[in-house]
Amino acid sequence: MESKDLGTTQINTWCPGCPNFGILNSVKEAIAELVNEGKVSAKDTALVAGIGCHGKIYDYLNLNGFNGLHGRVLPVCFGTKLGNPDLTVIGFGGDGDTFDEGVSHFVHACRYNMDITMMVHINQVFALTTGQANAITEKGFIDGSTPLGQGEKPINSVLLALELGATFVARGYALQAPHLKEIMKKAILHKGFSYIDILQPCIVYHKHSVPYLSKNAYKLDETHDISNFNQAIEKAREWDYSYEKDTKVPIGIFYETQRPTFESQWPQLKQPWHTVDRKPNWDSITREFK
Amino acid sequence: MEKTILIGGEAGMGSAVTSHFIGKIFTEWGYYVFNYRDYPSLIRGGHNFNILKISDKPVYSHELKYDFILALDQKTIDTHKKDLNKGGLIFGNKDTEPIIQKLQGPKILANNVLIGLLFKHFGVDLNILFAAAEKTFGKNADMVKKSIQEGYQLGSEKEKLKKLTAKRFISGTEGMGIGAIAAGLDIYLAYPMTPATPLLHFLAKRQIENNILVFQPENEIAVINAALGASFAGAKTMIGTSGGGFALMTEAFSLAGMAELPLVVYSSQRGAPSTGLATHTAQGDLKFAINAGHGEFPRVVLTPGDAQEAITRTQEAFYLAGKYRIPVILLSDKHLAESDYTLDEIKKSPLPAGRFILENPPEDYKSYKITVNGVSPAAVPGQGPIVRANSYEHDEYGHTIEDAATTIKMQDKRFKKSAYLKKEISKLNPVSVYGKGSNLLVSHGSTKGAILDALPQLKNFRFLQVSYLEPFPSEAVAKEIKKSKKVILVENSATGALADVIKEKIGIEIKNKILKYDGRPFTPAYLIKELKK
Repeated sequence: MESKDLGTTQINTWCPGCPNFGILNSVKEAIAELVNEGKVSAKDTALVAGIGCHGKIYDYLNLNGFNGLHGRVLPVCFGTKLGNPDLTVIGFGGDGDTFDEGVSHFVHACRYNMDITMMVHINQVFALTTGQANAITEKGFIDGSTPLGQGEKPINSVLLALELGATFVARGYALQAPHLKEIMKKAILHKGFSYIDILQPCIVYHKHSVPYLSKNAYKLDETHDISNFNQAIEKAREWDYSYEKDTKVPIGIFYETQRPTFESQWPQLKQPWHTVDRKPNWDSITREFK
Repeated sequence: MEKTILIGGEAGMGSAVTSHFIGKIFTEWGYYVFNYRDYPSLIRGGHNFNILKISDKPVYSHELKYDFILALDQKTIDTHKKDLNKGGLIFGNKDTEPIIQKLQGPKILANNVLIGLLFKHFGVDLNILFAAAEKTFGKNADMVKKSIQEGYQLGSEKEKLKKLTAKRFISGTEGMGIGAIAAGLDIYLAYPMTPATPLLHFLAKRQIENNILVFQPENEIAVINAALGASFAGAKTMIGTSGGGFALMTEAFSLAGMAELPLVVYSSQRGAPSTGLATHTAQGDLKFAINAGHGEFPRVVLTPGDAQEAITRTQEAFYLAGKYRIPVILLSDKHLAESDYTLDEIKKSPLPAGRFILENPPEDYKSYKITVNGVSPAAVPGQGPIVRANSYEHDEYGHTIEDAATTIKMQDKRFKKSAYLKKEISKLNPVSVYGKGSNLLVSHGSTKGAILDALPQLKNFRFLQVSYLEPFPSEAVAKEIKKSKKVILVENSATGALADVIKEKIGIEIKNKILKYDGRPFTPAYLIKELKK
C-alpha cells in the first residue's frame, strides 16, 4: 500500500499552505507503513472526526469514517470500539472541539484507557468560525469575540492528558511531518488511550505561532525517559502555550505506560457484535417470571 | 374477589420488596395483581407506599381505597387510615413489634410478620410462603421464615383463597428489558435517571448470561454519541433516559437522523418541566419526543400501555430502527416503568430479531445509496468496502457536500422512508379500540390501565389507545373519532398534547379533556368521577 491509496478525490478546502496538510500526509504515511508492516489492517480501521477545520480530514482519507458532532469525537470513538473491538479507531479533534465543547469526554477517555488514538489539531483558535479564542488560546489574544483580549490562561493540554492518566502522551508539529508520522505510528500501536497534541498553527487567524514554533520547537531525544512520569510532567511544563517570551517547545513522546485497557475488562467484548449470531431463547429469557 | 392492599413505611423499610413478594404469591396462586409504587426522591425516611389491587379478574390499575393497610410505621396509618374500606384491617407496629422483640431480630423483619398475618387471613398454606421466601431471600431465609411463621400464628383465617391457574407478574421495565433481549440487543448505554434507571439495572444484572454489554458513560451526551458509534460499528444499540437526559441528547438524536444510524431510545417520562418530580409520573414529553432534534428527519415514536406491550413494542422499536436505519423513541413513563402487571402468559412479537446488515457488501458500496424506499442497505466497517457516517449533508458515498441539487436529493431520499414506514406500522396495530359505545375516550401510554378498568363501569364508552404517535396513524384515529358522539382526551399532562397532535394531523379538535398533572397516575375511580362532571 502506498500513502496515496489512502487519499480521496474530494476537493480539499483547507487554506493553501495550511499545516493540516502536514497532518494529513503524516497520517496517510503512518497508516500505509503500518499496513505494509502487517501491524494494521486498513479495512479494519475507522476514523472519527469532529467539526472544525480538522474535521475535513474525514473527506480526505479513504478509510471507514464517522464525521460526528462538534465536541463528541471521543464518545463516538469509544462507541465504535465498543461496537467492534477488532477495529483500529483513530479520532481527530480540534482543540476547541476537544477542550471546550467536549472536555468532559477527554477527562473520561484518559480514565477509561480504551485502545483508541486521539489526535488533536492544536491551532489555538476556532478557525472555521473565523478565529475566536478557544481553551488553548494564549492570554491577551484579540479576536472578534474577545476585542478586549482573551483574559484567561490556556489549558496545557499535554499536562492535562498526563494528569488524567492517558497511557501514551505525545506532541507533534504539523510542519515536521516525518517526525509526526513516527509519533503517529507508535500512538496507533500503543495498547490503550493514546493522545497526540499536534501543533497546527492557523496561518490565517493565529499567524504568530508559525515563526515562534519554528524557532522554539525541539525534539525530545533519548535523554528523555518516556517511562518516567515526573520527567514527562517536567517536560510538559516547559511551554505553557503562550507567546510572551521565547520558551523551548518540546515535541515527541512525553510518556508511555501500560494499564489494562477498558475492553480487556469486559468478557463480552470478544468479537464484533455484528458477527454474533443471536438466537434469543424466549423460554430462558422469560424463565424468571414463572 | 377483589382486594386492595396498601403497604407503607419509610424509604428503606421494605415496602417495595414486600409488595412485590405479596403480589408474586397472589399471581402464583392464580390471581391478577396490579402493583403501584409511590415514593419520594430520597434514600432514607419519608413515606413510601405500594398499592396492590388483587382480583380473580384481569386488573390493570389501582384504587385509593384499601381493604388492608400493612404499616411499617405509624405515618402509614395516620396518612391512609381515612381511606380504609368498611371492614378493612390494619396490621402495624402493635402486631409486629412484640414478635421482633421476641425473635431479637432486626426491624426489617416486620415485613415478614405482616406477610404472615395477611396470608393467614386468606388461608394460604404456610409452606407456600416459606418456598417464596427461599426463592426471594435465598437459603439464609431462616429469620425471614421464622418471622413469617410468627405473623401467621398471630393471624386468623377469614377467607379461603381458591388456587387458580398461575399467572406471570412483570413490570413495564422488565417488559422493556426482555423485549430488548428478544430483539437481539447487543449494547445498552445509560446514565442514571429516574424512572429509566430500573432498566439499566435489569439489563446490567443479566448482561453476562445474555452476552450483552451494559455500560454507564460519563453523561447523556456521551451515551448517545457512543451509541451512534456502536451502531455505526454494527451493534444493536439501545439507550435509556428520562426527559431531562433526553433533552441533552437531542443534538445527537438529529445526528442519528442525518447519519441514518439505527438507534432505540428508551425515554421514561416523569414530572416536568426541568428536574420536576423525579419519582412521579407524567406524559408531558409527547410533543418533545415527536419533535426532538433540529432539522427534519423521519423517526418513530411509540408508547406502550402495559407490561405486555412493553415487550412487543420494544421488539418493534428494534425492528423498525434496523430495517429503516432511523432513530426510534420508546416513550414510557414512571407509572408504566415501575408498576407490576399480571399476564396470563408472556407473549413476544413474531418480528424477527435479525440484523439488517449486508452479508457481502459490494466493493463500490455506497453508505447512502438512493433506493426506492429510501433505505440504503447497511454495511459496517471491517467488512471490506469503505463505510461512512456523516453529520454534514453528504452524497451517496457519505462525502460532505454543499450543493443545492444533492442536498434536495438526499433530503428526499431520507423522507422516502416515511410512506413505507407508515405502511409497515399500519400492520403493527398502531391503534387499539376497547369496549362498545358511541362515546370515545382517547389516550396513549400508561393511562391504558385505569381506563380499561373504568370502562366496564362507564355507560356507552369506547377507548381508543394510540400506540404509534409518529408516524401518526391518521386514518385509523380519524375513523374512530368521526364515528363517535362525545370524544374525550385522557392524559397525564397539563395541556393534553395528544389533542394537539390529533388536531395537527387530522384537523379535528378535541375540546373535552380529562387531564391530571399532579405527578400521580389516574385511577378508575378518579376517571369515573371526572366523567360524571
